[in-house]
Amino acid sequence: MNTPPQFLWSGLACTRSLLLSLLLAALSPLATSAQPPAAPPPPPPASAGAATAALPSGQPASDGAGGASATDAPADAAAAGTRALDEQIQDLKKDVIDLNRDLFVLEEELLFPANTQVAVFVSMDVGDFFSLDSISLKIDNRDVANYLYTPREVAALIKGGVQRLYVGNLKAGAHELVVLFNGNGPNERYYRRGANLRFEKGVGAKYLEVKITDHARAQQPEFEIKDWE
Amino acid sequence: MRSGRRHLGLAIALLAAGLSPVRAAHRSDPDKLPSIKVQDLHYGDVLFHYWADEDSGLEALTRLEAYNYWQRMPHHALDAQLLAAGMYLQLGMHNQAGDRFATLLGDNIPAGVRNKAWFYLGKIWYERGYFDRSEQALNRIQGELPPQQEAERTHLLVNVLMREQRYDEAIARLQSWHGPADWIAYARFNLGVALVRAGRLAQADPILTAVGTLQTDSDELLTMRDKANLALGFAYLQADQAAQARVPLERVRLDGPYSTRALLGDGWAHAALGDYRAALLPWLELHKRNLLDAAVQESYLAVPYAYGKLGAAAQAADYYESALKSFASESDNLDAAIGRIHEGHMLDDLLGTDKDARYGWFWQLKTLPDAPQSRYLYSLLADNDFQEGLKNFRDLNFLHRDLARWDQSMEAFGAMIDTRERAYAERLPRTDALLATDAPTRLRAARAAVDSRLDAIETGNDVAALGTAAEREQWARIASLEDRVAGLPRGLERDEAAAKLHLIKGVLYWRLDAAFKERSYSQQRALRELDASLEELQNRWVRVQRARATVPTNTGEFADRIAALAARIQAVRARLVDTAGKQSDYLQDVAASELGAQKDRLATYAEQARFALADIYDRAADQADGASGAGAAAPAPPDAPAPAPVPAPAGPPEPPER
Repeated sequence: MNTPPQFLWSGLACTRSLLLSLLLAALSPLATSAQPPAAPPPPPPASAGAATAALPSGQPASDGAGGASATDAPADAAAAGTRALDEQIQDLKKDVIDLNRDLFVLEEELLFPANTQVAVFVSMDVGDFFSLDSISLKIDNRDVANYLYTPREVAALIKGGVQRLYVGNLKAGAHELVVLFNGNGPNERYYRRGANLRFEKGVGAKYLEVKITDHARAQQPEFEIKDWE
Repeated sequence: MRSGRRHLGLAIALLAAGLSPVRAAHRSDPDKLPSIKVQDLHYGDVLFHYWADEDSGLEALTRLEAYNYWQRMPHHALDAQLLAAGMYLQLGMHNQAGDRFATLLGDNIPAGVRNKAWFYLGKIWYERGYFDRSEQALNRIQGELPPQQEAERTHLLVNVLMREQRYDEAIARLQSWHGPADWIAYARFNLGVALVRAGRLAQADPILTAVGTLQTDSDELLTMRDKANLALGFAYLQADQAAQARVPLERVRLDGPYSTRALLGDGWAHAALGDYRAALLPWLELHKRNLLDAAVQESYLAVPYAYGKLGAAAQAADYYESALKSFASESDNLDAAIGRIHEGHMLDDLLGTDKDARYGWFWQLKTLPDAPQSRYLYSLLADNDFQEGLKNFRDLNFLHRDLARWDQSMEAFGAMIDTRERAYAERLPRTDALLATDAPTRLRAARAAVDSRLDAIETGNDVAALGTAAEREQWARIASLEDRVAGLPRGLERDEAAAKLHLIKGVLYWRLDAAFKERSYSQQRALRELDASLEELQNRWVRVQRARATVPTNTGEFADRIAALAARIQAVRARLVDTAGKQSDYLQDVAASELGAQKDRLATYAEQARFALADIYDRAADQADGASGAGAAAPAPPDAPAPAPVPAPAGPPEPPER
């Protein structure tokens, strides 16, 4: 009495199977990226591909064994195409990184040849007694660098990073580096200190390290400049 | 997903920290690389940029590769290589990272560091869809990871196995798995799903039911509870066990992300049991919801179908009419959105809101712009592949801009070389003329002559030779006068003159002799000063010679390098544009295909609605004919549908609620 015409049944059945393939996204394995301890957003619905693969046996859109669906072949081809493009992009990114390296090398060798190069590095250890705001560098009484630090950069220094603050050229002979530090010292008081070093520039590149360390006993920061031979 | 990426970033930072200088206060950990002191400033500079820059390590990696090329990090060669592999991983270049890890992660690296590297590589490969590589990487982990990571590793492996339809292996792994409590629900869910997929529904039921009846306040676990119930309900529906399907489906929350699917399934379960009135309840609730949802679209057919089953043909026809209008309207919207995508505006629309131009693996598009196609793209944005594709597209554009900056620098470098060449052309003739004089040799010879003369003076005690000009002149006059006195005729006058001259000579000699030692020392000192000047001259001379020798090669070499690099920049930029174009096409195809699928689905629904509607009208007409021919008292055939009233011609059906 209440049975609809066959075409309607088949149409609805078809619709149902089509929809089921979407609904059965729920049967896709749980995304492991949802970390239990955290509170991530709800898991996204799985892709149609995953849903299709999830169809159990007996469904019109899947084969009799409940395995790969009829759409798997084009899906596989699409996945292969996507993968090929991904590989191509990775190769291209590597080429860009290699090119960036070569450009960086060229720039430095052209602008700062090894026989005249002078580089000043900044390092910081602990940083309990000094919060760095800025550094000014003078070489032979000439301003060569003024640098204002971001909190992220200060954190990078405290973690152990060493910043190459200045690269320039100097002729061989005697020179003087003067460094001025600005920041907050103990008890959050404004702190301005200086350090200087007379150094001899030879034929090769000269590296100088400006070191900010904590002097635990004096409860004060210490500033020194090391000449790396 | 974002949480996972954040953890990945932290882990790579930790990996780097393991390689980085760690202060003495840090205790040694057998699972980490030993604390080391920065012995190469340039390695420290790489670490600084790694931590300080916001470009996910591109600058740090460039510096690392450059410093490595110059061999400026001899004490940190291995650390630098490991860090590079980690940064390649972070930049999404998993193949490069995998190759490097495979080479570097030998027994000399602590197991904890090795395992961490393989774990994150396996995770990224999984996210990128490289399941085979993911499985290999995860299986390279030796021993056990920390509990949380070990649990995640197991689930990654299970996901890989299930993606590859190796359900029995997944089941075996999950059945024997014991892990942290917060992972148990995930494990049970995945086990239940694997059992369903393996056709073992009876075994899956208690497991999914346990997850589906979890007592929890956690949003995440509530969502998983819904998912488990939905999974079990639909598994039963597919197995034609509608009665069993209803129970889990009715446990799904009505305000959760799976509520629409559950409502639809619940309706189907009732319908399969022949209870169309009960089926209408969830379907009518569903009918009020957003038409973008596929389950809601289906309800536009399901509701009139149920009405038809209940003999309410007029309501059924109304709902079919309403569905057709809604489908047509939505289909038009989809056409406009697909058109916009085909015009190439989608990526501009999507990325136009994201002004942050940084490169990066951790980037993710979080908000959709107000564009015609946006409302249809939410499901795509939840799709990992699409996000990865967007990220790649964005990275390609970033790299293109980065190289454009270098392109400008190349022009400056070229101008610099030109200037240098002009300066050399001006100065070289003068330099060559100077170098041709061989001045240092000549001056060294002159110095040697002076030295010999001084030796002779000192050896011969030639005190007059070091006298002042006046003394030397006086000494010469005395010598001349001596000759003249010697030529005088013998006599008293000559003797007196000779005696006087002798006295004068004696006085002068005494003066000269008294000053001789000091003057000799002074000459020796002057000679030493001359030596120092000659040495300085020699150094400068050598530098000028070297500079002269390298001028043609040096500038020429730089000019060649600049030309070659400029050509490489152009070539790579062209490839970036080309590949970005392909990636853009790919993303647009994916989006258009997704929207096309939505449109096809609507078309299918619309076709079914039209057929159903036509059938209702046909039956109504047949019934009217039958009534006029055979009389109203004739009973309807047992299987015929109830007479369908002709729908009211006036008044369009209410549009679906959006």
